[in-house]
Order: sequence, then structure tokens, then C-alpha cells
Amino acid sequence: MSGACIITLPKNRLICCRFWDNECVLYNQLTGETHLIDDMGTEIFRLISEKTATRTQLLQSLHSVFEWDIDFDVEEVLDNLILQYQKLGLIVVTENTPA
Amino acid sequence: MKLATLSKKAVIQALNNDGLRLKVGGFNVCLSSPVATVADHLLGLYGAFDVVDHTAFIDFYTSIAPPSKLRRFFRANVNFSFDGHIPFKPLPYKQASALFEWGLNWCIANHSHHYLVIHAAVVERNGQAFIFPGTPGSGKSTLCAALVSRGWRLLSDEMTLLSVADGWVYPIPRPISLKNRSLDVIRDFAPDVIMGPVIKNTAKGAIGHVRPPDDSVNLGEIPVQPAKLIFPSYLKGSKTELTPLSKSRALLKVAENCFNYNILGLQGFNSVGDLVDASDCYEFKYSNLEEAVALFTELAH
Repeated sequence: MSGACIITLPKNRLICCRFWDNECVLYNQLTGETHLIDDMGTEIFRLISEKTATRTQLLQSLHSVFEWDIDFDVEEVLDNLILQYQKLGLIVVTENTPA
Repeated sequence: MKLATLSKKAVIQALNNDGLRLKVGGFNVCLSSPVATVADHLLGLYGAFDVVDHTAFIDFYTSIAPPSKLRRFFRANVNFSFDGHIPFKPLPYKQASALFEWGLNWCIANHSHHYLVIHAAVVERNGQAFIFPGTPGSGKSTLCAALVSRGWRLLSDEMTLLSVADGWVYPIPRPISLKNRSLDVIRDFAPDVIMGPVIKNTAKGAIGHVRPPDDSVNLGEIPVQPAKLIFPSYLKGSKTELTPLSKSRALLKVAENCFNYNILGLQGFNSVGDLVDASDCYEFKYSNLEEAVALFTELAH
């Protein structure tokens, strides 16, 4: 996944979010499913519920909030989370190609 | 007019003719039944309820009756019907009064979508609603009966009606249903409670009903703001433990205990979200009712 790709919530307010501390609960109006998200996931949704973000911006934001061991591969974890959330229809990932 | 002011003969007559019309919380219920134990059940446990006149709008027309005259005598059983529809299989004649309570639960849970209907006991103290969601066997009705026997106001022992319009809890005080060992536990804890006859060998075991306090019935239309959301778990021999629960996890647990969360969709999600926002959320383990009541009484100050 490229750093420039854009991550957003689906259009038409399909996903509704409630945040409490380091957890959030999402409601998907399309599927009727309710999801509990914690830690890194909460920060991802906190950021993209305010504005669209690129993968690079998400990484920067996560680095400013969390501290990890040196051998923790945050990029791999982030990409896995993005993939999972995309499969669940919770986010939309768009490749940001130059005009 | 209270049901207790009617003679037994008048109650039986109403049940056998057009039906007895009772105000139960915010609902008007009409019940017809030729079954003697149903009349006894109402006379013993519903004395403080208002009887409404024939001009009042009726929310639920119900009846408890044998499927045929023959079935009054041979393998006697009874049906519950709602608006002429029979939603359940018949039950033995001796379980008629329990079937009425279960049937009314079903009516409310399936036809009251202006409320989020949570499978939870709810009581009130100092203007605060304490909500105890839980699956059968979690000890919510036992806890509810214990608190009510010590002066807490009963809003419901079975379902919490949370208005989707204003987020307040609307009462539906009715007899508290106790099962199996809970019957003796409450008899020992509160010997003064009025309990109806125990019905044995039901699908849930032995069932008995505790009469709701008159004060709770009289306040049956006054809603209360939610304050505490407590998930009880009765564990034999356990210490009394109240543990804070995150609001996100509380939201999920409430949603799991709702009858109509999926039907309400986004409205349901927002209602549960507002409920956990307005409430302190806990998990609660207990085995000692005295300690539990003391703890919640302190929490309500």
C-alpha cells in the first residue's frame, strides 16, 4: 500500500462512531453490524472521522500517540488493520494518483 | 379504580365476558380467561393496578384459555392469544398464570419499538435508575426483588423500556418473576414480601411471582433518568465485587441484551450510546444479597 493512498469513511454517513478513551464503537448502517475497536484502530477512526487522511498521515499520527518496541512493525500492523476495515466496509481506500 | 376494590366475583365475571382491562405501566391490557388460577393470580398480585374503562384505548388484547372445552378436562392445557393470534404452543393448565406473564412480556418486547427494550431489571432510588441487564440466571431478578424489598422503587424486573425520544426509562412495574433457588433466597431475605403460588415443572423450573409494591405501581407512568448500568453475575460463594466497565464494552453488552436493537437500526445504536454516556457502567459479582443492597444503597447517595 502506498503512503499516498487516501483513507476515508464511506460516504453518506454510513458508519457512525462513538469514542470513549482508547476505544470506539462503530455502527455500520449498511450491514447493521456493531464493531468494538480499540488502541491503534481507535486512533485511525478518530483521525478519519475528522478529515480524510493518507496512509503516511495515519502513520505520523500513530507515532505521535503510541510508543512501540524497536522491533514492532507498525507499518505492517497498520496495513493489516486497513485491509480488515476495508473488508468490513468500515473504510474506503483510494489510490491517490497524480492528475 | 383499583383492582383490589373489585370483588372476586366481579373479576371472574370480567375475565369471562369482555375481559378485564388493566393499566400496566404505560400500556392498557385487556385479558380474558375462564381459568380460575388466572383470576387468583390477578387478585393476589395485581391489586394495586388501575382498572380502565371500556372507552380507553387497549394496547394488547390477550386471552388465556383452553384450546377446546375438552382440553379443560383431558390433558388440560391453555393457549395464550394476542389479538386472536396464538404465538406459542399450549402449556399445561397449571401454568396458566405464568403463561400470562410470559405472553405479556412477548407483547411488550415485540410491539413497543418507540422504546429500546433491554432484557434488564431496573429499579430507582433518589431519582436514579439502576439498570441490571442480564441473561436468565445472572441473578438480576433476585437482586431486583431484594432491592425492592428494601424500599427501592420497582420499574421492571424483566425489561427496561428506554424511550428513543428522550432517553428516559419508562416503568412497567409488574410481579417479579423468581425461579428455583431464588424463591427461597428471597423468602429468607425478605419474609414480608407477598408471593403468589409456586408453579412447578415449567420450562424454566419452579416459578413464583412477587407482588410489586403499591407505591411502585402508583408511580407507573413517571419516567426516571438512567444513572447506573450494572451487569450482574451471581456466583455461588463469590465476594461482592463492583468493577468499572468501559463504555464501549458496556454498549456492546447492552446491545446483546436488547430485544429490538437490530429493528431500531441507527436509532438503536444512538439510544444505547446515549444510555452508556449518561450512566456509570460496572460489572458486578455477588453471592451475598445484604452486601449487594448495602453497596447499591451507598452508590445511590
